[in-house]
Amino acid sequence: MLLLLAPLLVTPSPGDDDWTIQAATVHTVSGAPIENGFVRVQGGKIAAVGKGGGGATLECAAVTPGLIDLALGIDTGPLSVEQSSETAARLRASEGLDLFSYRWERALRSGITTALAQPADYDVIGGLGLVLKTGGAPTLAARLVKPEACLRGAFGAQPSNGNSIPRFQEPQSFYFRRPTTRMGVEWVFRKAFHDTLQGQGEDDPATAADHAVLRRVLAGELPLVVQAKATQDVRTAIYLKEEFGIPRMVLDHAIEAWREPELLKRSGVAVILPPFTADGRHADGFVNDSYFLPLDAARKLHEWGVPFALSAHEGAGAGARLADQAAAAQRGGLPLAAALEAVTLTPARLLGVEARVGSLEAGKDADLVLWNGPPLQPTSRIIGVLLQGRLVLDPRSK
Amino acid sequence: MKRLLATALLLASLVAAPLPAQQSGRLVIEAGRIVTQAGPDIENGRIVIDGGRITAVGKAEEVEKPWDATVIGGKEFVAVPGFVEAHTSQGMDRANENIDVAPFLDIRDSIDPVAYFFEDCLRLGITTVNVQQGANCVVGGRGMVVRPVGMTVEEMAVRPLFGLKLSTRPKGGKSRATQMQALRFAFEDLKLYLEGLVEKERDDAGYAKREALFQGRDLEAEAAQGRAMSGNAWKVDGLELVPRGALDERYAPLLELLEGRYTAFVHCGDPLDVVHALEVVRAQGILARTVLVIESDCWKAADRIAEAGVPVILEGGLLDVQRDPITGEEVETFVPRVLQEKGIRFALSSEDPNTRAPAYQAALAVAYGMERTAALDAVTRVPAEILGLGDEVGSLERGKLGNVLLCSGDPLSVAGWVEHVVIEGRLVYERAKDVRNKHLLEGVQPLGTAPPTSAEAGEDPEHEHEKKADEDKGGSEKDAGDEQKEKEDGGR
Repeated sequence: MLLLLAPLLVTPSPGDDDWTIQAATVHTVSGAPIENGFVRVQGGKIAAVGKGGGGATLECAAVTPGLIDLALGIDTGPLSVEQSSETAARLRASEGLDLFSYRWERALRSGITTALAQPADYDVIGGLGLVLKTGGAPTLAARLVKPEACLRGAFGAQPSNGNSIPRFQEPQSFYFRRPTTRMGVEWVFRKAFHDTLQGQGEDDPATAADHAVLRRVLAGELPLVVQAKATQDVRTAIYLKEEFGIPRMVLDHAIEAWREPELLKRSGVAVILPPFTADGRHADGFVNDSYFLPLDAARKLHEWGVPFALSAHEGAGAGARLADQAAAAQRGGLPLAAALEAVTLTPARLLGVEARVGSLEAGKDADLVLWNGPPLQPTSRIIGVLLQGRLVLDPRSK
Repeated sequence: MKRLLATALLLASLVAAPLPAQQSGRLVIEAGRIVTQAGPDIENGRIVIDGGRITAVGKAEEVEKPWDATVIGGKEFVAVPGFVEAHTSQGMDRANENIDVAPFLDIRDSIDPVAYFFEDCLRLGITTVNVQQGANCVVGGRGMVVRPVGMTVEEMAVRPLFGLKLSTRPKGGKSRATQMQALRFAFEDLKLYLEGLVEKERDDAGYAKREALFQGRDLEAEAAQGRAMSGNAWKVDGLELVPRGALDERYAPLLELLEGRYTAFVHCGDPLDVVHALEVVRAQGILARTVLVIESDCWKAADRIAEAGVPVILEGGLLDVQRDPITGEEVETFVPRVLQEKGIRFALSSEDPNTRAPAYQAALAVAYGMERTAALDAVTRVPAEILGLGDEVGSLERGKLGNVLLCSGDPLSVAGWVEHVVIEGRLVYERAKDVRNKHLLEGVQPLGTAPPTSAEAGEDPEHEHEKKADEDKGGSEKDAGDEQKEKEDGGR
């Protein structure tokens, strides 16, 4: 018999939502792992978690919370980038999102049940990101976890890529976009926050709306998630945080954050690490340069007490998924508990959605991942996924 | 029988000398666990290597330690057979030749002993490597099995002139039809050439003699090399009249392939290529010496492979993800499991960058339901057998070469690092002294140790110069528009 190892995504039928999952180890993340434990699911929520149990409807070697990826990267590409301005804080990623993309299902199958969606990084300040489930009915209403979860920005070479003052043309040409350098990118950031504090240019309703969002960032209501790949971008971001007193900042794609332990500790930023590569290198497609991510970067951040999340950037092949990133981090010396936290509870906390997702506790969403062995190890894989109580990857359909 | 004997003699003459030993003494390896891949694991075991070969392996209390032996290892280590890479096109200066049919090429001229690839092999525990030409060919050159250690190709050589690369995946610029036509014609051309030789030999022996004289060839020496022989599938009448040495070098290797001297490594990019490949090797009578090098989705042709009974080397990713063109749904297939279910002998290769380490590939196979021993077999025993080295490497047994890895813990776990590599009784790698590994792990960059980036490697000073000149003169209007377009087109 031919073995198709990817069980089909099952269509839910009413009454399917109540489960008792029994596992050799229940990794709650919020507390100590429970040996021979159970998770009871009712009405899309976790009803109870405990030791022992009985009447299991599903069994597996280990169960963990659904994984969370803050850099999944499913968006509509450069077409969802506002070209009229470099600062578009008022715009919402939700309005450019393709909920019908097959890439959501791919993420869901790899255990990612919750994700952050953000505008693409071609603007300096791109707009508002949202936290949503990776599955369910393809409507925002059905999938939304938090509509305005963060403000997205980008440092480095990407927001200025391709920008130039066309030669022999007047600067007010359609093609005239700024900034054109790393310095310029930083300037746009600072100007935006400066103007917000001064209330400048708010006769224009668009600017006023941008400033309203930036004020929420300055008040700590919204985290500022910025792309900062290279050491210099990490420094620039942290200096910006300190200059304007931005309470919550998350450095995304922070390949070389590990090179700045003192700045990280001093500033209280959080970090999202990109996937690990075989040779540690990450080429920057926008400048002729590459940045280095050692295998123990996560361990370093853990030891310094810097909150961090791991990300797979939609890696779909064997060895490239989010669970594989957590395994790679452990190879670099990160303890299992910390690796698990970096793909569940920490990302939930960074975006302020920990009341709903990120750990196995009664009352939280029933987003569960079922494993055929110890979780996040190369010798185990994900055999089942529950999303809000619905079985989307069936461990029995082997 | 005579032919077999000749082939055997030829093969025997090609087997290179063993690795010259630097330490003349004997080596004892001790480990808390020995994974032999030839029976059950041994707890608290000891391996004795003498003259490059394993002379004893067993429980520590049952194996005597020679008094003069160097001892490495300890209870905290796990000993594993050195991994065998059954097929790669790395470690060379450019893997592909642009001539379609080039069996006369020899990979020895391309192998770069100081290539970073070979150093990395040791880091990953690969102790035997089959290097073959890249897949962008119709008929490629002859490959070579090497050990990834040595300053010259001769020092590295385990089996020189081993294997011949064929490809049914269309070479760049070719359609499937032209690729197949070119492949069939390569053999047809050989046949025509041989018929021409025979005709010439029959028509005018004197002419052949005069021609040889004119060319300065030594007819007696040519005759002493024996006679040309046809393969199994087709015969050229009278070929026995032609002295071996009269064969043109450009044709000889292809005839040798048909005579069964080389293993054919046939690259298949798609299931359809598998069907084509089997058709060609059957027609040429070399099915018994064929190994298919397959990409991930070739599992769809698993029935055909199983029926033909040929072994395969999985060069593509272990997990095949296919998207249904109509429904858009994705289906995942773990390829090694399908191969196993069909009873196909398969080896995993380290070509996929996400899963390069053989131990990691074996771990993934375990995650997808394979037994540990079977999973490790796919990176040790089976590739060894595919390379005809089943008696030499691939397991830890008395009489086999002393290729042993000492790992810090279970090699399939996140904590299992290759700490020591022993090749033929010689300690050739120690992780504690591996500065590049330290860099990969901790980001410590000792000066002058970084391998070149792809950008540096591909740097063209002339091009740089042009770029600079362009900038200096201020570019043009077109540039700006192009850049804008790039921005719009550019993905993440």
